[in-house]
Amino acid sequence: MSGSKPDILWAPHHVDRFVVCDSELSLYHIDSAVSSELKAGSLRLSEETTATLLSINSDTPYMKCVAWYPKYDPECLLAVGQANGRVVLTSLGQDHNSKSKDLIGKEFVPKHARQCNTLAWNPLDSNWLAAGLDKHRADFSVLIWDISSKYAPETAVATEKVRLSAGDAEAGLVVTKPLYELGQNDACLSLCWLPRDQKLLLAGMHRNLAIFDLRNTSQKIFVNTKAVQGVTVDPYFHDRVASFYEGQVAIWDLRKFEKPVLTLTEQPKPLTKVAWCPTRTGLLATLTRDSNIIRLYDMQHTPTPIGDETEPTIIERSVQPCDNYIASFAWHPTSQNRMVVVTPNRTMSDFTVFERISLAWSPVTSLMWACGRHLYECTEEGKASSLEKDIATKMRLRALSRYGLDTEQVWRNHLLAGNEDPQLKSLWYTLHYILYFFQYTEDMDQKLTGNKGPLVYAGIKSIVKSSLGTTENLRHSRSGSDRQADIIQYLSEERSLALQLCGWIKKGTDLDVEPFLNSLEQEGDWERAAAVALFNLDIRRAIQILNKGASSGKGDLNLNVVAMALSGYTDEKNSLWREMCSTLRLQLNNPYLCAMFAFLTSESGSYDGVLYENNVAVRDRVAFACKFLNDAQLNRFIEKLTNEMKEAGNLEGILLTGLTKDGVDLMESYVDRTGDVQTASYCMLQGSPSDVLKDERVQYWIENYRNLLDAWRFWHKRAEFDIHRSKLDPSSKPLAQVFVSCNFCGKSISYSCSAIPHQGRGFSQYGVSGSPTKSKVTSCPGCRKPLPRCALCLINMGTPVSSCPGGSKSDEKVDLSKDKKLAQFNNWFTWCHNCRHGGHAGHMLSWFRDHTECPVSACSCKCMQLDTTGNLVPAETVQA
Amino acid sequence: MATCSSDQSVKVWDKSENGDWHCTASWKTHSGSVWRVTWAHPEFGQVLASCSFDRTAAVWEEIVGESNDKLRGQSHWVKRTTLVDSRTSVTDVKFAPKHMGLMLATCSADGVVRIYEAPDVMNLSQWSLQHEISCKLSCSCISWNPSSSRAHSPMIAVGSDDNSPNILAKVQIYEYNENTRKYAKAEALMTVTDPVHDIAFAPNLGRSFHILAVATKDVRIFTLKPLRKELTSSGGLTKFEIHIVAQFDNHNSQVWRVSWNITGTVLASSGDDGCVRLWKANYMDNWKCTGILKGNGSPVNGSSQQGIFNASLGSANTSLQNSLNGSSASRKQS
Repeated sequence: MSGSKPDILWAPHHVDRFVVCDSELSLYHIDSAVSSELKAGSLRLSEETTATLLSINSDTPYMKCVAWYPKYDPECLLAVGQANGRVVLTSLGQDHNSKSKDLIGKEFVPKHARQCNTLAWNPLDSNWLAAGLDKHRADFSVLIWDISSKYAPETAVATEKVRLSAGDAEAGLVVTKPLYELGQNDACLSLCWLPRDQKLLLAGMHRNLAIFDLRNTSQKIFVNTKAVQGVTVDPYFHDRVASFYEGQVAIWDLRKFEKPVLTLTEQPKPLTKVAWCPTRTGLLATLTRDSNIIRLYDMQHTPTPIGDETEPTIIERSVQPCDNYIASFAWHPTSQNRMVVVTPNRTMSDFTVFERISLAWSPVTSLMWACGRHLYECTEEGKASSLEKDIATKMRLRALSRYGLDTEQVWRNHLLAGNEDPQLKSLWYTLHYILYFFQYTEDMDQKLTGNKGPLVYAGIKSIVKSSLGTTENLRHSRSGSDRQADIIQYLSEERSLALQLCGWIKKGTDLDVEPFLNSLEQEGDWERAAAVALFNLDIRRAIQILNKGASSGKGDLNLNVVAMALSGYTDEKNSLWREMCSTLRLQLNNPYLCAMFAFLTSESGSYDGVLYENNVAVRDRVAFACKFLNDAQLNRFIEKLTNEMKEAGNLEGILLTGLTKDGVDLMESYVDRTGDVQTASYCMLQGSPSDVLKDERVQYWIENYRNLLDAWRFWHKRAEFDIHRSKLDPSSKPLAQVFVSCNFCGKSISYSCSAIPHQGRGFSQYGVSGSPTKSKVTSCPGCRKPLPRCALCLINMGTPVSSCPGGSKSDEKVDLSKDKKLAQFNNWFTWCHNCRHGGHAGHMLSWFRDHTECPVSACSCKCMQLDTTGNLVPAETVQA
Repeated sequence: MATCSSDQSVKVWDKSENGDWHCTASWKTHSGSVWRVTWAHPEFGQVLASCSFDRTAAVWEEIVGESNDKLRGQSHWVKRTTLVDSRTSVTDVKFAPKHMGLMLATCSADGVVRIYEAPDVMNLSQWSLQHEISCKLSCSCISWNPSSSRAHSPMIAVGSDDNSPNILAKVQIYEYNENTRKYAKAEALMTVTDPVHDIAFAPNLGRSFHILAVATKDVRIFTLKPLRKELTSSGGLTKFEIHIVAQFDNHNSQVWRVSWNITGTVLASSGDDGCVRLWKANYMDNWKCTGILKGNGSPVNGSSQQGIFNASLGSANTSLQNSLNGSSASRKQS
């Protein structure tokens, strides 16, 4: 330690105290700073801690090194090595209690004055203090003092010549006779006691490392090396020692002391301090001069001397506790991986070296990580708004709310999804209309609608395309209204079909939008209703809607103003109204209102203001286009919009593409964007009659979704999904997975046995339900040999379970009731794959409720425990 | 959940009904620091694999032992096999996605990736070495592409922590070729030249492209879009269009681990700054940080990001002998 640079030391037994020493000793106390403001006189060390100066000791000038007394009592006793070689015991701000009183102020003086380089207390025999000194001719450089030698002067007088020149008054406090003198004709740069034995001292001498054994001071083990500075023993591995020279750290194994077992990569600048972490095995911190980085070496595997030539694995890290250069650092003795660093200008910083964190996600949106010696679990907060929720959470919640499973009223699925995503809403309405129309066409006479069915699935894009060929269908119609005389509407069978898909009109050919308007009014969607009314050229109705909206419960009064503006409509080209509307409409916030005025002020035949108003639902824009664009324009518009939707993966576009390959493309980009395989699976299942389901991608989504449900332990949901799937897509029905074959002839007995009606092979098909034959099928239908017996009731399989609770056993008539299902499960065959014992499922279940071992005597198979998953409860029931 | 640590042991934790974690097994697995532990798909039973500095990887299976109900707290794990082919420290071990069967990939510090297969899933003591890929660089981490789509052939990404300043790509991607029945290098991420500590493919979840997160001196997220097969020569390797979609140096230090959530939409990373950060893409495919947590679970002060995630101390009384090298969640998922 050079005088100018501060060093830092933690109190060995007070976890909240440390000493900074440069020209004086300053004792600090660390507090945790709960509040953000600082108390007077305290220094901020980190976000959580502050330091308060407790006391300063400037009694000892020319400090070269400091060592803290290792025992608890007396506290705050420090040994200071001075430039003249004297070692002084001093204390910091403590009341001088009886024990330390005798010690404080004691001086240990070597024969010749030279710099004291290092000090080391013996950790066990704490009266022993080793001091390492510079070379002075043939004098000794390592002196071991006994601080308890109170009457040293007297003993010295008795045994040796008094060389003491100090005043007699201090005589009682000055010790000149060391306990041991070692290292003759040498210099000592660093010292440390070996925890292996309290009489072993490791010293970094000039050009060699030496181990002195105090039991036999004449001998020493030494090895020549340059790395003699800062010797320090790994507190967790007592044979491992680190020392350094210039920029190089050498790691030694004392059992094989000839050469370093390891040298760490050389640093460009000379090292100033090397220290093992006291709380973690094999963590070495090093500091170089003029650097703001502390390098850490995690040495889990230094080579051992016993014939192991593996290369060492060292994880090197560097941490930057502060921006300034670091003068010194000190590990906290007990607090995990914590250190305080000090800069040359005495600013300090409390710093914790974080362990490298390893982390893993659980399937249910929680994150686990390990930091230091703790494991943490972090879960997504339930309060987060739905938009910010991750798709994983969303899908989980949706799965729980039976999303996608409402096949009666398909549009309701968007409510199950939480009714917050406009795209999903649009998607499910589209599917609803498609299915609705499909059913309708099926009901109708086949000749009339002919091949419209597939067309419906193909989306508006194909519908429009098909209308292109049949030009005769086109009928120009002047509007009935007196005002919009110049607006041309187009009508054709296909276009009205498209309008139906858009939801504007109901089935049939009547073009009445009134029901749709009413439903919009009910939902309070006034602007949209008004716009739709207007696009149907019913300006009076539009105004009426707006008025209604303004006067409704929490209506917007501005709607009245809009209505007023509407009523002033004139079709004169240069009127003030027109001018004002076309400029002011851009300031309207609501896209529908905006579109309304765009429509009214547009030149005939160009409706870009409506068509490219992106905030208007695709559905309405398409319907509008179908009404007012001619074939060529319409086709172009639809084409363009479809591509846009496909590009963006916007689910509203399903309206255009339908459940076709185009639709799958669109869905693919939606899945790419969101990862929402749930919606993709359910949506594509609806298109089952067409061949979209055969698309590899669709199959892949479905597979992924099923895996997801499994991973969430939503096994019941997965089963529901499978049922739903097989309803819509009969080809996906899995084959029977288990067959029960006769022991004798090997044929499956399933075709006659009620016990295993696999995969919906109907009971009635085999004349089972309620038929008297049921109880008699106890033999193999192939060879007439009896079926095996149940291990518990010892009756041949195929017989109904005798102990059904309630009255169901009395008569088979009740089988037709709800009990039947339960009873049938009890009848099922079940067996252990391991020991091959089994019987009626009901019997087995009740047996294993109380037992772990197989019911067959002398069989110790723990059948139920073999299936670890079987003991788990599906997650959805846990949550419910 | 399984954890592994430098004290040569692996611990298994089970979550009880009320959400507490209990250590149900703890045993010494290796004679060296255990780098990583990983679960096999539950379809194959309760199977773990661990790899260690002691140059081996091991496969463990939980068995229902002689324990009666009183001792059910501790489950019993037996070593099924030890894979001893590596001559250096085995740095990572990963089970292949389940559609490939019971396969296991290991990588070691001498730069060799080995792929093992258990031909008989009922007999975990037999593993045959199927492939050996030499990466020429010391490997630190591997990741299987989890995609089970038939359109994507098996793929494995290897990261290297070689810290020599050469310009070799530190992330290499190998793909299985049906015709040659070998893994061949498909791509190398030339932009990653710093040591890579962890690498993770996102769960594919039906996407047409793959997402790969790389932990090096910063967090990087790559997308790999397979070009259509027709364009590439038939039977050859798939060509990829590789984009780097995000690169974050917010950790301000080396990034240690990355992990994807189940949908591949949230990435968690941990760095030497002692923080865990969460990354998420918005609709425009812009990735940004959605949460920062300090290693001890407290939210970082003064972070402008509002944390969606709320940390709760999992088990404060867990005193582990040593630092944890790896953890692997998702036990018993189906």
